[in-house]
Formats: sequence, structure tokens, C-alpha cells
Amino acid sequence: MSRIVVVTSGKGGVGKTTTSAAFSTGLAMRGYKTAVIDFDVGLRNLDLIMGCERRVVYDFVNVINNEATLNQALIRDKHVENLYVLPASQTRDKDALTPEGVGRVMDELHELGFDFIVCDSPAGIERGAHMAMYYADDAVVVTNPEVSSVRDSDRILGLLQSKTHRAKQGETVREHLLITRYSPARVQSGEMLSMEDILEILAVPLIGVIPESQSVLQASNSGAPVILDKASDAGQAYDDFVRRFLGETVPHRFLEVEKKGFFKKLFG
Amino acid sequence: MSGELIEIKGEMTLISVLRLASAEIELIRQGVQNKRDSVPQLFANSPLVVDCSQLGDGCAALDMVRLRATILDLGFIPVGIRNITDTCVEAAIQAGWAVLRAGRATGASVRVERSVSEEKADADVPTTVMTSVKVIDRPLRSGQQVYFPEGSLVILQHTSAGSEILAGGSVHVYGSLRGRVLAGIGGDTSARIFCQKLEAELVAIAGHYRLLDDIDTNLKGSPAMVWLEGEKLKIAPMF
Repeated sequence: MSRIVVVTSGKGGVGKTTTSAAFSTGLAMRGYKTAVIDFDVGLRNLDLIMGCERRVVYDFVNVINNEATLNQALIRDKHVENLYVLPASQTRDKDALTPEGVGRVMDELHELGFDFIVCDSPAGIERGAHMAMYYADDAVVVTNPEVSSVRDSDRILGLLQSKTHRAKQGETVREHLLITRYSPARVQSGEMLSMEDILEILAVPLIGVIPESQSVLQASNSGAPVILDKASDAGQAYDDFVRRFLGETVPHRFLEVEKKGFFKKLFG
Repeated sequence: MSGELIEIKGEMTLISVLRLASAEIELIRQGVQNKRDSVPQLFANSPLVVDCSQLGDGCAALDMVRLRATILDLGFIPVGIRNITDTCVEAAIQAGWAVLRAGRATGASVRVERSVSEEKADADVPTTVMTSVKVIDRPLRSGQQVYFPEGSLVILQHTSAGSEILAGGSVHVYGSLRGRVLAGIGGDTSARIFCQKLEAELVAIAGHYRLLDDIDTNLKGSPAMVWLEGEKLKIAPMF
């Protein structure tokens, strides 16, 4: 059975789409056949981050409405093999998503032999977010070290255990906490919530901490998921996260303030 | 005594009391209906005792037959009537009412918010010990609500800011308590709140509430107990 993973957060702008792109790319790089679906109907972004915006012909809503087949709508990623993108529709709204329609697409992806289906959730707790999480087996909850983001993640965690298909069957959705835009220096100066504070409030297993990094913005603008940038700290942190998700034990990195050496002090 | 087939004992039971302020059946219907619709899950098929102490001699104007029919119609089970004048007793029995002896003074009960119109009926819930317990083994997240009017609630994990706990009896939280917690919502003044780490937004027992902002700050984050002493809500460390 394909494993369905929703990337969600409640709050907007915390890095759901960046994470979905990096996560699905990382899974595909390790040989898993992976599909990544943009559930943000009306505000489609994933195709930009994945660098396939010029190749969108049919979209997710077309497939749900039987206006196109899944094979027609799936876009093969140009960076890695085994990765396919199902883009959102820009001209529709989230009412186009129905539990039956989404369920059918999930079943078809399973029949096509996908190992992982990554669902990139829109912000909010309305229909789009609800549909993205509905069939999930796992949830990666993306949180920034900031109180309102943590509060919204908490709300999403509650919905995951009450409004999903699994919850209705009496099962639970596996929860993973991913902290993004983490800046150890700002944590040290008390401007940001620390990792420990967030874990204390949310009480969910931590799967990764992605440091605040210039490379994320560069990667987004160039349309190549940041995980492909092996030299960047964010890219490495995302790679660690994927390995942990697949069951490896990898120690957490980028949690301490980097000590500047003599040359760094001189040259910045 | 083991040979006895049945046993009849006088026992206390939690029962709702409908206190009439008017003998006008239509006004009573309106009032009861409004109350019922505001908390349907609390009142569905619940037994009801009618109290006429506020009517005094106005009792005579009360149509016992229609009153009974109206209450049944609204989904309650009319159990009995009390505090009616002697002249009305006959009519009440004729209409199928059990005439109860006057109840105790109702000082201990907590009055459900009085409706705007004076004629409307009030529902009072007297206090009785409840024994049922519900255990929640997951964290209570922001936006989630647990409502358990039948008894006490035990939360094994933390509760988040923006969550709400409502229990008829006491509330125990074996983690951080961050949301709102209301114990004794049916009026049980003996209900208490216990928690490992007090960080609640609001605590309330039997309708008496306090915001954490008003609470002595040194109690924040420590194990604490909340209880009602007379009209005052007390909060103290547990250890």
C-alpha cells in the first residue's frame, strides 16, 4: 500500500511547500516512487518550487472531475527519477476537492505503484487542509519557533486525531514534528522559542530541525528543491529528516550557535 | 436479607427542577423550550420536577393537564410537582402528577442564568454526588473540547491553550493544564480541579470562575488544586 504523508501546519508561510518539495525529492532520491500533490487549489505554488510550472497542462482538479487521466496530469520531475508532481488548479477553489474524488486519486496512485504520496496542505483549517490530511497515514507538522505557529500546529494536531479517515476508523495518524526557520542565535538571545519549548507545548516526536538559511529562498526562486543543494545547511537538515522518516537514527544538527573561527571573524 | 426480591429505599437522585414564575402554559413552554435548545444533550429525556413555590396562590390558575402534556411534548419526563397550594392538590392528582412534599431550601444549587422575561421558567439543578469517571489518554489540543456532565474527567496528558474541559464532577490533569477548565458544571460545589502544572487560562467550579491573570504568580507552573470555599474559589499548591 502507498504510504500517504500530509505536510501541514495550520499557519501560512512556515515552509509547508518547501518541505513538501524537499521531502518528496529526498524520498525519490532514495529510490522510492513518490508523488507530491499540491492541495492548495487556487494558490498553486508547488510547481514553482519544483521548477515545473511551464509543464502544467492538466491539474489535480481536472483529474477529480474526470476531465483528464492521472497519467496525463502527473508531471515527471526533471531533477530526480521516480518523482511525479500533481499540480493544483489555479483557476478553481477548494470546493472542487471532495473526499470521494481525493480518495479515488489516492487509489489510482496506489495502483500505479507509488510508494509514497506526499500531500502539500494549504494553510488554514478549512476544506483544502481538511482534504489534504483526510487520507493521511503520517503527518509532518511544520512549525516555526514562534508562539502563533505553535498554537496553530497544536490545533492541526487535534484535527488530525479527529477529522481524518484514520481517526474515523479508530486508528491514529502518526505525527512528526518538523521545526523550520530555526535560528540558534536568536533562540540564545531569547527572541525565538527554543526547540525544548516547542516540544514541551506540542508533545510530538521531533523528526527534524531545519535552520534558517539563505539557501531556501535561493532554491525556491530557482525552482530546485533545497535538498538538492548538498552544500547548504538547510539541504543537509532536510536530508537528515528524510533519513529519519525512513527509520534511520540520525543525530540532530544545527541546534547550537556556530562558533566563528578567526578567519570567519575577519572575513564574515 | 439476601432472600428479598426487591428493595425500596429512599435515595437522593440528581433531578432537574423547573421553577415556575408564571401559570401561563404558553410562556412556560417557551421558556422550557429555549432552555432545552440551548443545551439539548443535557436535557434529552431527563426527568423533571415542577416547583410552584414562586406562584403562591397563582397555582390555582395552573392547568395541570396541559402543563403535564407540554412537558412531555418537549421531551422531558414529568416526575412530580411540589410546593402547590392545598386547593390545587386534587387537580394535580387528577392530572396524573405525583405531589411531592416541599423540597429543601435551594440555597446550595446554582441557578442557570435567568432569562430576560420574568415569566419564563427557570431550570435549577440541585447538587448530588456523581461517580462516573472518563479518562482521556491523549493530549487535549487547542480548539478541542471535552464535555462530560455525568461525572469526573481524568486527563493523562497535557491540555493546550485554547482547549476546554467541562465536567459535572472534578477534573484531574496529569500534565500541564493550559486551557480552560470548568468543573462542577451541573452545580456540584464539591467538585475540584487538580493538575500537575497550573498554567490554565481560566478555572471554574460550579459557575465561580477565575482567570489565571488574577492568580498569585508563584503558583503558575506548579502542581495545584482548585476548590470552592463558600462563594470563593481557592487555589493552593498540592505539595
